[in-house]
Amino acid sequence: MKKAMLVMVHGSPRPIANTDMYSVVDVVRERGLYPVVEVGFMECNEPSIPEAIVRCVEQGAQRVVAVPYFLHTGNHVTDDLPTLLEQAQAQYPNVEFLMADYLGHDPLLADIILERAAQAQVG
Amino acid sequence: MNVGIMIFMSDAIILFSHGSVLCGAGQNLAELAARMEARGDAAIVDVGYLNYTEPRFPETVRRCVERGAKRIAVVPYFLVAGKFVKEDLPSFVAAAREKYPDVEIRMADAICFHPTLADALLACADRAREPGAWRDTKAQAASYCRASARCPLYGSEDCPATRAAEVVV
Repeated sequence: MKKAMLVMVHGSPRPIANTDMYSVVDVVRERGLYPVVEVGFMECNEPSIPEAIVRCVEQGAQRVVAVPYFLHTGNHVTDDLPTLLEQAQAQYPNVEFLMADYLGHDPLLADIILERAAQAQVG
Repeated sequence: MNVGIMIFMSDAIILFSHGSVLCGAGQNLAELAARMEARGDAAIVDVGYLNYTEPRFPETVRRCVERGAKRIAVVPYFLVAGKFVKEDLPSFVAAAREKYPDVEIRMADAICFHPTLADALLACADRAREPGAWRDTKAQAASYCRASARCPLYGSEDCPATRAAEVVV
């Protein structure tokens, strides 16, 4: 079964705000665990999440694992993203959609925070 | 870690976050801080908010100082270093330094890019769930209900406080 990872991102009126996220997604691609990795935005930037889902399906994905690139559980993670995925599931009944845990919930965040704290500066 | 960089050995880490009107939105961060403190990342690990959620950042600094903190590292719990990190946080930190001149307070970079974020994304994907569980997080938020009229759940059937009020009426 061909798997796709769909990274669901909030989006920003300042596109430069997405640079680091794209770098992280490049590392995910390099890991090679998902033959298809696409980014979709809720707001401001392209492609939208529905457009990114089309890209996953067109590349032959039979299972789309959608990961919220969010630190917090606001309305987007709890409501808006599930709604978008439900619509996608209705549109593509032969594709299996799964929604992953949101990024901020992963225990690995603690290691990053600890490293940042150790590099804290006076300025 | 870069060998050339001096490591700051803090006795307190404060996670600086935006805050949310959604009840229970701070629960994950409170649990993250508690886990870090329990594993000894610093003697104190606490959370301070800019808006909406308690405790606000100045209150968190006060709590840390009262618990004996002398070297505080403030880590912005933001994916992107925007206005909140570059403008609001430095002014908070400047005020805290003035209030506690004997305490060293340093600012760290926001989360931004780190290769471990890729591992975190893949780990999140391993915990992916089927449609029936997609709204579980919303149900969990309701379980931390503070009956706040500003919470987006307030007035909806998902809000325990609203449901309780309807029973009374």
